[in-house]
Amino acid sequence: MAKKIVVDPVTRIEGHLKVEVEVENGVVVDARCIGTMFRGLEQIVIGKDPRDVPYVTERVCGVCAGVHGWASCMAVEQAHGATVPEMGRVIRNLMMGALWLHDHVLHFYHLTALDYIDPTAVLKYDGNVPELVAVKEKIKALAEAGDLYPVLPSYTPDDFCVRDPGLVTQLVFNYLRALEIQAKGRKMSAIFAGKQPHHSSMIVGGVTCFPTLEQVEEFRHILKEVISFVRNVYVPDAFLLATGPLLPLETASVGATAGHYLSYGGYPLDNSGNNFLFPSGVIFDNNFEDVKLFNPQDISEVVNFSWYKDEAVPGHPSQRMTEVDLDKEKGYTFVKAPRYQGKPMEVGPLARLLVMRYPPFMELMQKYNIRRPGAVMRHAARAMDTLVMADVITGWVDELVKLLWETGVYGSEGNARIHDTAHWEPPDEGSGAGLNEAPRGALGHWINISEKKTSQYQMIVPTTWNASPKDENGQLGPIEQSLIGAPVPDPDNPLNVVRIIRSFDPCLACAIHMVHPKGDRVISIQPAI
Amino acid sequence: MNNYADEKELNILKLEMRGISRRTFLKFCAVTAALLGLESSYGSVLAEAASEAVKKKPVIWLQGQGCTGCSCSLLSSLNPGPAEILLDMVSMRFNTTVMNAAGYLGVDILHKTMDEGNYLLVIEGSIPTADPRYCVVEGMPFEELVVKTAKNAAAVVAVGSCSAYGGIPKAGITGAKGVSEIITEKPVINIPGCPFKPDWLVGTLLYYLSFNELPPLDNDKRPLAYFGNHNIHDTCPRVSHFEKGQFLVDWNDPSTANWCLFKVGCKGPVTFSDCNRSWWNDGVNYCIRAGSPCAGCVQPQFYESFTPLYVPLFDLTAKEEPKEAASKGGGRKEGYDARSVAVGAGMTAAVVGGYKALQALNNSGKGEAKDG
Repeated sequence: MAKKIVVDPVTRIEGHLKVEVEVENGVVVDARCIGTMFRGLEQIVIGKDPRDVPYVTERVCGVCAGVHGWASCMAVEQAHGATVPEMGRVIRNLMMGALWLHDHVLHFYHLTALDYIDPTAVLKYDGNVPELVAVKEKIKALAEAGDLYPVLPSYTPDDFCVRDPGLVTQLVFNYLRALEIQAKGRKMSAIFAGKQPHHSSMIVGGVTCFPTLEQVEEFRHILKEVISFVRNVYVPDAFLLATGPLLPLETASVGATAGHYLSYGGYPLDNSGNNFLFPSGVIFDNNFEDVKLFNPQDISEVVNFSWYKDEAVPGHPSQRMTEVDLDKEKGYTFVKAPRYQGKPMEVGPLARLLVMRYPPFMELMQKYNIRRPGAVMRHAARAMDTLVMADVITGWVDELVKLLWETGVYGSEGNARIHDTAHWEPPDEGSGAGLNEAPRGALGHWINISEKKTSQYQMIVPTTWNASPKDENGQLGPIEQSLIGAPVPDPDNPLNVVRIIRSFDPCLACAIHMVHPKGDRVISIQPAI
Repeated sequence: MNNYADEKELNILKLEMRGISRRTFLKFCAVTAALLGLESSYGSVLAEAASEAVKKKPVIWLQGQGCTGCSCSLLSSLNPGPAEILLDMVSMRFNTTVMNAAGYLGVDILHKTMDEGNYLLVIEGSIPTADPRYCVVEGMPFEELVVKTAKNAAAVVAVGSCSAYGGIPKAGITGAKGVSEIITEKPVINIPGCPFKPDWLVGTLLYYLSFNELPPLDNDKRPLAYFGNHNIHDTCPRVSHFEKGQFLVDWNDPSTANWCLFKVGCKGPVTFSDCNRSWWNDGVNYCIRAGSPCAGCVQPQFYESFTPLYVPLFDLTAKEEPKEAASKGGGRKEGYDARSVAVGAGMTAAVVGGYKALQALNNSGKGEAKDG
């Protein structure tokens, strides 16, 4: 007899998510992800000045703050015929690269690490490393005051949870340090971005900030500290867990999808339009040796199981509008189902590194003979994804300094360019696509402009790919696939369910920006049925 | 390999801030007291109130139609850092972004805290009213949850412009409203912004914890000390360029990089916040300094009445009254006299008049100090 488990709310993710899984004999046999919030940002920008659109759509999400603004700028720039000058490109890379470092650190420590440790082990720490003793005293004082929020309560730690007092105390210490490091990542980005979350200085055609050498060096100063943390703390922690206590979860392929991966590619390394830090590409059926070329025209949306009016055939997002059908019998979610050549695709750091064939990651996969990467490998990939950025970002700082001197900002010439002012005014007609990589994966924005106003706008965000529902062929979305087969020995303690969901770093405000809640349904809280 | 050593001492100090070393925190409190317009001696009062770690104020932090940007903004605070705020200053009972618990465990904490009462209710994101089903949170329509949770709350704080006034969602079809339109029987304090700036909330919390009452508010229910007292245009480092008629129109021209942003859409003349005084992200920068026009994100009129964002608020050369601009002031259209002000350098009387008048009509919304 299958038991239905409802987790509502799923916390430590972005947005509102409810998850239903059916468990039979201690294993998940069916899964559904349901989002419950609607703002309608795509409708809000219709009829507006296209230059407003990046400002508004950036606010789809405050966690991945900025990358939506970037993809949106790319779409509008294509529609305007604008080209971002070289210095503008480098400054964009820096402000977004800073967020890359911020976002992955935040996810690992603050959104997911608590799933893998027993925080109370700190109280058993008996070492004498001063900073760890300080952590113990801190947690002890809070525990004695009966106020360990928000660290506790938690699900009961299971056999996979790290309980070694020394290791847990170190991880809690790193958790606290990471809080500060991620705030510094935001600060670093704000040096060029104006403020964070939600930068103000990236606009259609380029950027608005004319950096001074002092600002560049301030950026470099914080960058050093953040990179040091990434290299010496975050990556070792992620690997220590992934290749140590959590390895059994991984070798059991807990949280693995069907193995289709997609990356749009992102972070332009020059102005050619062909050379990116993260390449684009597609992998099917866990066939890692065969990375296929990505063709944007092969993206389609289907809505068979979503609360939208059926359209006769799957269609490309640049041509689709959103019409709600609240009474659709077989509908069960407000997230649409994007497909690539008809397949549900996983996007995110794992997909990115597999498509990139990042050597250290491929070696790791080989070393542990991982054929179907799951939740734990997603964390390892995210850590390495951070390293990819850490390896290049200092070079971009040097590139900016060089450009600043070369273009004579400090002389009387003043021919540095950060903005394509000639294409600032909206065109009468135009259309554009902004395909990019967000920390969470492949991100696409599409715009049509008519009579100088936005006439159509669509976004397919990473979580739309990952949290998509079934399609017309009955294929589940990637997160749903990944939940099938997850061990849930105790229905009151569905740790593996939340672990798997969080390994995707879902962003629900992003994914359901266009959706409607089902008409007559008020969802009840069902801890465990 | 391990880089703790060089920072070890610092980190220990931070972790033990309330116990052994309170220097950093005392300094922050003194600065906050000054920003709030209090005598500097109040710094220690603020510090005292916040350091009662044994009985920290419980906080319920609900998220409605938002983007989590405001929670992230809180986490972006440095001095005090997020760890101090989350562990030392308040008892963060319910915040879905940071809390460990999920599902029924989380809902249990929520109900338990609601039953205990006397908590601070912080709300992020707007409340849909066109249909309650536009936002169903933790098993019930968000509006219902807000009303229920507000019942036993000691105070209600709306963080971010969505929660304060409806923000960007208000421009959509969901009937998005701010908290004070829903909660009327209790004082609501607004800390708007997209997102809010963390020191605005931390300072307000310290004030509240110290005096057990809300700080003086402006007419838009914002702390006067952070908002109503500071017009962005008046306090702008670029204002003298406005007076001289020097406007940035091309971001590529270094010689105009510090000129007035009015012509690229700055909403400074109708916006009230202290961004010019204390910058963002640990004081590293803010929009105008980064060459971006102020979008007026702390105003009740944001975003619907401020679009298009990158075109001038009104026509500086117009001889006519800038009716469109006046209507953007959220209905504060009175007292407009375009010709009563002297000619400014490089500008016509109408230009100066337009500006002054806009100031006047917005000052009417600035409000007087009042105790919440």
